[in-house]
Amino acid sequence: MAEELLSREFRVRGKDFDKAGETSTEIKTILKNLGIDPGLIRKAVVVTFEAEMNVVMYAAEGTITFTLTDEDICIEVADDGPGIPDISLAMQEGYSTATDEMREMGFGFGMGLPNMKKNSDSFKLVSEVGKGTTLTSRIRLDSHG
Amino acid sequence: MDELLHGFRIDHEACGGCFACMRSCPTHAIRVRHGKAELLSELCIDCGTCLEACTCGAIAARTSSIDEIGKFAYKVVVASPVICSQFPADVRPEHIVEGLLSVGFDVVWDYGVEIGLAARAIADYVDRWRGPRPLISISCPVIVRLVQVSYPRMVEQLIPLQPPRELAGREIKRRCPAELGLAPEQVAAIYITPCQARTISIIQPAEGGKSHLDGAVGISEVYNAVLAGARAAAKEGKQASAPNIVRSASMLRWSTSQALARRLVKHRYMSVTGLANVIQVFDDVEKGKLRDIEFLECYGCWGGCTNGNLTVDNVYVSQAKLDGLMERYAEFDRDTEREVERRFPHEDYTLERQVAPRRMRGVPGDLKERVRQVRHAEEVLGQLPGLDCGLCGAPSCKVLARDVSRGEAARTDCVFLSEDRLTELKRLYLRTTSAK
Repeated sequence: MAEELLSREFRVRGKDFDKAGETSTEIKTILKNLGIDPGLIRKAVVVTFEAEMNVVMYAAEGTITFTLTDEDICIEVADDGPGIPDISLAMQEGYSTATDEMREMGFGFGMGLPNMKKNSDSFKLVSEVGKGTTLTSRIRLDSHG
Repeated sequence: MDELLHGFRIDHEACGGCFACMRSCPTHAIRVRHGKAELLSELCIDCGTCLEACTCGAIAARTSSIDEIGKFAYKVVVASPVICSQFPADVRPEHIVEGLLSVGFDVVWDYGVEIGLAARAIADYVDRWRGPRPLISISCPVIVRLVQVSYPRMVEQLIPLQPPRELAGREIKRRCPAELGLAPEQVAAIYITPCQARTISIIQPAEGGKSHLDGAVGISEVYNAVLAGARAAAKEGKQASAPNIVRSASMLRWSTSQALARRLVKHRYMSVTGLANVIQVFDDVEKGKLRDIEFLECYGCWGGCTNGNLTVDNVYVSQAKLDGLMERYAEFDRDTEREVERRFPHEDYTLERQVAPRRMRGVPGDLKERVRQVRHAEEVLGQLPGLDCGLCGAPSCKVLARDVSRGEAARTDCVFLSEDRLTELKRLYLRTTSAK
């Protein structure tokens, strides 16, 4: 069983495009101070940033929990958004339910979830329509950045 | 590995320990200990902010003196086009050439050709690139160093091509000794630079290896002498003895912050200047936000090289003069383009070595120990006032807390936590003041 070494929780507010990205910056700083391999930091930054964007775009509020164990970096994101009816469809590159307004701001091109998966060693998505979505991304410390 | 050098020196005798450099440093590479500024070399990216912030004249650019250059039999000068924006409007580029010759250089290099070659090589590279985007220009040595230190995963996005000044140096070394019957070491290629960062890129290139140039002299260092020479030539109204170095607007454009904008019109291009802006944009690149941009032209100085710390005129005045001057020339000049056409297929543009992340000391200890340090730093930070006054000798409470957690500073360096520290500062600074 992996030993938990450090854990931090961040709140992300929906529709707050101005602040979107701050959590990934904070997680980057923590990982940098921990002397984690830059390749792994970049993966964690990409995963967190995409997760933040999803919360900002679709939910009223979400929580990002960052946990470092002696084996991996875990990023768990839970939100109270509309939920995802068809997860396998949502995981396809280019599939997006973003509104025109979101696209005008340069978001919602259907790359978020696939990109998060690509940057994770394990990726789990649990969603209930009308309740919310929880996703868990793990990046192994011994994987290649 | 060789000791890491920088484009400036801190004179510890002259340093009054005023904290100005430490507070201004964008990479937190300076601490003030025992009333003197100390550089944490591996964090320094040679941006030169400290030079301008220094109030005691203790930080000076490392450049070549005219005396040092005197030892060469034949001295070729490669002048950054920024120089054309520095003189009063009545001093024209052909006068500047005369001015440079009057300082003791034997010839002013026709630099427009290498600028044309480098621009074309970059455009080709951007066309062919299929790797991660955006590509990043390496014209500014500060940007290269920033990536090496803070964005090590982005080094492959730096365009690994020789900057034009290096192409010029190589051509000078190739051509001049043969033409003049001199030994290669008797010929010097000297760059006239708008900043100290270009100097360090010559003394110690970021990718390792050796520069083709023999030294650099700041524009501000030769300014008065060149101006006098240029004025004298203008007054005599004599026919220029040397060919004019400026023949096209594109050559002058190279010294602006949008040097490549017109060459890359078919590509999604963005110009970013000023270190704080560049850092913001690089953070976005790292998050995967700017994948649609193909090319980023970045400069550490706000406004680009006309704002370099070895320039003389105000950045806006310089840019206005440059704009006026560019109006007078066609975008491209036929002779230059013909020479670019002739030389282009025969040159190798790749950097002789690959740019790699800077090797850093790293955070000591195993993962558990490092986690302990981060927790310790958070605990220390909770005890500090959060005012970032800097009197502890670190630029912010956060940095002090981290230094403490790594055993490089003490909690009691904070004046709020230690009477002794306050007494020490009084002794150091009140005495310094009264001694003056």
